[in-house]
Amino acid sequence: MITLTNLSKIFRTELIETHALRDINLQVNEGEFAALTGPSGSGKSTLLNILGTLENFDAGDYLLDGISVKGLSDAALSKLRNEKIGFIFQSFNLIKDFSIYDNIELPLRYRGLKASERKQRIEHALELVGLHARRDYLPGQLSGGQQQRVAIARAIAGQPRILLADEPTGNLDSLMARQVMELLEQINQQGCTILMVTHDPDQARRAGRHIQIIDGQLSDAVLYDPLAAQSA
Amino acid sequence: MEQFIYYLKVSFVSIKRAPLPYALTIFILSVGLGIFFANATFYYQLNSDPLPHKSSKLFFPMMLLAPYECTDCKPPAVLSYSNIEKLSQSDIPSAKTAMYSADGYLRKNAEQTPMPVNIRITQRDFFSMFDVPLLHGSVWPDNSARLEIILSKATAEKLFGRTDAVGEKLLLDDRHLTVTAVLDDWQMLPRLYDANNRNHLSPADDIYLPLETGYDMNYLSNTQSQTFDDTDYRKLSTQGRTGALNQLQYWVQLDTPTAQQAYKQFMANLAQDEKVAGRHPSEPNNQLVAMRNIVNYFGGESSDIKAFALVTLLFLLVCLFNASHLSLNRYLGNQYEFSLRRALGASRGQLQLQMLADVLLMAVFTIAGALLTGYAGIKLMNHLLPRNSLFSSWDLPLLLSLLAVAFICSYLVTLYPSLRASFGTLNQQLKE
Ligand SMILES: Nc1ncnc2c1ncn2[C@@H]1O[C@H](COP(=O)(O)OP(=O)(O)O)[C@@H](O)[C@H]1O
Ligand SMILES: [Mg+2]
Repeated sequence: MITLTNLSKIFRTELIETHALRDINLQVNEGEFAALTGPSGSGKSTLLNILGTLENFDAGDYLLDGISVKGLSDAALSKLRNEKIGFIFQSFNLIKDFSIYDNIELPLRYRGLKASERKQRIEHALELVGLHARRDYLPGQLSGGQQQRVAIARAIAGQPRILLADEPTGNLDSLMARQVMELLEQINQQGCTILMVTHDPDQARRAGRHIQIIDGQLSDAVLYDPLAAQSA
Repeated sequence: MEQFIYYLKVSFVSIKRAPLPYALTIFILSVGLGIFFANATFYYQLNSDPLPHKSSKLFFPMMLLAPYECTDCKPPAVLSYSNIEKLSQSDIPSAKTAMYSADGYLRKNAEQTPMPVNIRITQRDFFSMFDVPLLHGSVWPDNSARLEIILSKATAEKLFGRTDAVGEKLLLDDRHLTVTAVLDDWQMLPRLYDANNRNHLSPADDIYLPLETGYDMNYLSNTQSQTFDDTDYRKLSTQGRTGALNQLQYWVQLDTPTAQQAYKQFMANLAQDEKVAGRHPSEPNNQLVAMRNIVNYFGGESSDIKAFALVTLLFLLVCLFNASHLSLNRYLGNQYEFSLRRALGASRGQLQLQMLADVLLMAVFTIAGALLTGYAGIKLMNHLLPRNSLFSSWDLPLLLSLLAVAFICSYLVTLYPSLRASFGTLNQQLKE
């Protein structure tokens, strides 16, 4: 469902040009769970942002379900993000003064769903992440693991086909990280394609597919030992 | 609609996040707008047309008729009794009235303490020309002298405790007069018929006396009089009608351009006749000034109000600048939230609706604040410049325009910052 051909991204500032991604060719199929690893600064987040259409690119093409995102208007891209893609961030990115319920409601609001439909989807997502009892809490009243589960609930409430997760367990201790990982696996089993940036070799192993990116390029070589990167 | 209420709720939450900078933004805007409102009110009222349906038909004729050689002389702003007699002979105008004002003391009977009154000494057409509303009685049937007086509503109430005083006897400077009519509430704003004495900003007169009676009773003008010969202005009753004692304002109603043209010709002929008769050796210099131009013609525009208008406009700009700076900081502080909303699928259009909700809330607060400050500002200005106090009322068109200005300012203050925040790089905020 995702096809990248010769995709490149350059960040230009007044002083320097950073080739964040060079000549990426990548095919991700429906239902895959892919782990994206690589050293810090290698371009993982940039790749994820491009896949999520949050960022544009300089060369190559990106086909989503056979359609190039290059020609799409802002409205079409927004709709695509809203309906097909869910984001999970390392720092959760919940709105602090919105209740858990209101946070999960955000993407559904932008889709223009009816109140009853929104409610049903939010309840379902809360059920799935096991936080139904906390629906009226504020994010600050939850633990990090719980907050990330809220973020996951927000990402999946719209029933996206792709979930893009940028180091979702990066801020969590190992127990909480395992819970989040199990949750993602469960979501994947229900048919959702997942791309997840991680530094955890266990997680990378558990994912069905391992994509490695070094210095902006995809690499098959086992040049990079995630264990070593983690201890560094 | 439900969605828009949601946007309003979101705006509210983000205000609650940092209430102080928000309150400061509102405060700055309110002060700037309030002071602007107060000043705009005066400006608007001063420049309004008191008789929009007929002001273009009312004219103020002026003639230079001086019994001596005079080069480069402007025609005097007032005319003599004999000038008026000659001008009145034309029946081109559909209405015409001569007038001046004087001071007097009025009481019901000799037992009462007299009260000072301002007297407009005028002719019968005055009331129809300037749309003066009558409450009781009727206007004098002609322009001859009669011991009859017309009262303003306030004067009638002051003297008799009621408005229907028709037929009552009064003492004006201890001469007996009968009330023939009582006016309804009336205040022409600005009072353009008195602009040549720069009295157009003052309240209407208390009582109205026939012109001939005013001359007979020797009421001297309390504004402007000029003599062009050896007439003694104090001997109005005996010399005022024959001598070159100029003290009368004169207004004519000319309903069509043809009539206006014809009247100009009539004035030119009259000046020529006077020249031939040897009463006016100089070149003719006639003016026929339209009512709407009269203040301008006499240079009676209040320069203090004008200067102040400019200052308040500049002040408003400074306030706008400051408020939008504050608001920019607020939005940049919330920029990550814009990016998040974009990531969750909000289109630019949806973000703009959110922004509109922000604008609406800000407009509501700002309008409330500006109306309060504006009201206080008017009170203050009335205190400092009491002679402008008649010009401080808000009518519907003015109020609506003021509200529109407040809304536009709220929009400007929100627009730029929120656009900047929503067009920032999308991903940057979310990456870390
Ligand atoms: N907005 C940006 N402007 C300039 N350079 C950027 C920007 N975002 C990322 N970069 C650079 O691009 C490279 C890849 O960054 P990133 O994708 O965040 O790496 P990773 O997520 O793998 O740590 C880095 O060198 C980073 O400094
Ligand atoms: Mg990263």
